[in-house]
Amino acid sequence: MKIFEPHIHMFSRITDDYEKLALAGVRAVLEPAFWLGQNRTHVGTFIDYFDTILGWERFRAQQFGIHHYCTMGLNPREANDDRVNDAVMEILPRYLEKDSVVGVGEIGLDDQTEKEERYLIAQLELGLRHELPVLVHTPHRDKKRGFARCIAILQDMAYPMERVLLDHGNEETIQITREVGCYQGFSIYPFTKMDENRMVAIVQEFGVERMVINSAADWGVSDPLMVPKTIVKLRQAGVAEHAIQQLVWDNPVGFFAQTGRLDAAELSQPPGFDRRETFDGNSVLRGQDPTR
Amino acid sequence: MADSNRAEPLPGLLDGLTADARGWLDRARADGDLPVLFPQLPRRLGRIAMGGGVQRHSGATLDLGAWRTCDGGALLLLETRTPSADELVDLYLRGDLEERTMVLRALACLPLGSATATLLGEVQRSNTVPHFAAAVCDSDLLIRARDAGVLDADDANRMLLKLAFVDLPLARVFDATRLANTELSRMLQDLASEREAAGRRVWRDTNLLIAHAPTAGTLARIAGGLEHGDDAHRIAAARGAAHIADPVLLRLARERLDREPSAAVRTELAAALRAAERTP
Repeated sequence: MKIFEPHIHMFSRITDDYEKLALAGVRAVLEPAFWLGQNRTHVGTFIDYFDTILGWERFRAQQFGIHHYCTMGLNPREANDDRVNDAVMEILPRYLEKDSVVGVGEIGLDDQTEKEERYLIAQLELGLRHELPVLVHTPHRDKKRGFARCIAILQDMAYPMERVLLDHGNEETIQITREVGCYQGFSIYPFTKMDENRMVAIVQEFGVERMVINSAADWGVSDPLMVPKTIVKLRQAGVAEHAIQQLVWDNPVGFFAQTGRLDAAELSQPPGFDRRETFDGNSVLRGQDPTR
Repeated sequence: MADSNRAEPLPGLLDGLTADARGWLDRARADGDLPVLFPQLPRRLGRIAMGGGVQRHSGATLDLGAWRTCDGGALLLLETRTPSADELVDLYLRGDLEERTMVLRALACLPLGSATATLLGEVQRSNTVPHFAAAVCDSDLLIRARDAGVLDADDANRMLLKLAFVDLPLARVFDATRLANTELSRMLQDLASEREAAGRRVWRDTNLLIAHAPTAGTLARIAGGLEHGDDAHRIAAARGAAHIADPVLLRLARERLDREPSAAVRTELAAALRAAERTP
């Protein structure tokens, strides 16, 4: 089964993870620009980070047979930081036009401050201007209210809901999002947010329409194989193969293909690679024999 | 920078574009933020090979066989919008792989100046072969930059040594043999010796370029090249022997001609010997 992992921060992961993802059937990953675990102090570090996920990280993924795409945005945590917020907004338009950028994100709300809302709205306007889908991070605290607030903002702007993915959902939020017509993401974590068994129950109750699942794996305790592991649980529960394929491939591919920058036919084959190839003079081999 | 009113598209560019692509390009030439427009070029204009062979454009000689529609569109955009040197360098530094390729390919046709030196320096530091090729190959940029003093002799030597290091053909750098000098020959010969000691491939055009500025060891290398196991090395050595016209090398070339199994190499050897006979 082909898998599109629609939310994973490979910037923070090691090459073993790429090997395991490829073996588990992950054909493509989507890396949302996000927070790095501590606040950045000037825009230059954002520029270097954006360039890395467009450049080296994409190359690194290809060296393991995985297509790599990303979304660009000012994350809600650092939207609160006046050392970087306006300067990042200034550089975003050129980054939103890069070839492997298929959306604006992660944007959204975290602490649900007035500043977070202001930069969320400004980035939704960028999404409209650049005709891109948006990947919206929702708060981990006071989530239901955060979901409702994100939806209110989107509705105020008459944002086309088929181009919105509200992420980090759970059993409570699905009731809200089903009615507004947007996509909903479920981040399957080893111990928090949502686990595989709860996800199975959601699929059995609500189906897979406009739903995606992801690992949201990053620099913390997280598991990049959560999507393949959830597939196993879904099969064991008797969920039909076509429904699983829709959940882990058709839905995420269809959502991000709205950009016109993601070719489903090209995605269906793994990228060709040669580990002797270099990016800016660097290969992933670190001096090892490419034939081993 | 170029006179934007007189910016002309490369031959065949507009014929290769759809009406939508031409419309987008017209609008982009008139208005819009260049760093936002530039990454769109491959999506909007395609990556279709332009073809058209060697042409003159904006004072440069270039082989359109290496150009794609997005490269041609990028050049027209740059010649119309005339970014400053700093803006051009920024397009490269903040560009993705495709944007960098387009900036570097266009460089041959843009006015020589500080951006030329900066960007050639950038590709020299990178080992990204497509970028090095886009900047240095398929045009006469390197020789014009050297003639204009934008590059000094050391810069040019380092670039030709990098050409050998990444194994691109000498013929793709127009008039490169004019840049030959004894220091470059020494550098190329040392690289060849290091490669041989490591059991690695030697640049196939070594024996041709060093023949244009012989130094200690050059004749022995070319003599060895005439007996090399690889056709490309023997062809380069035959051409090198023809250029130097040293009596010993010519005698070795004559000896080789009778035993040479490759028709292509025999042609080169015969040409070398005929050229030597014509030399007083």
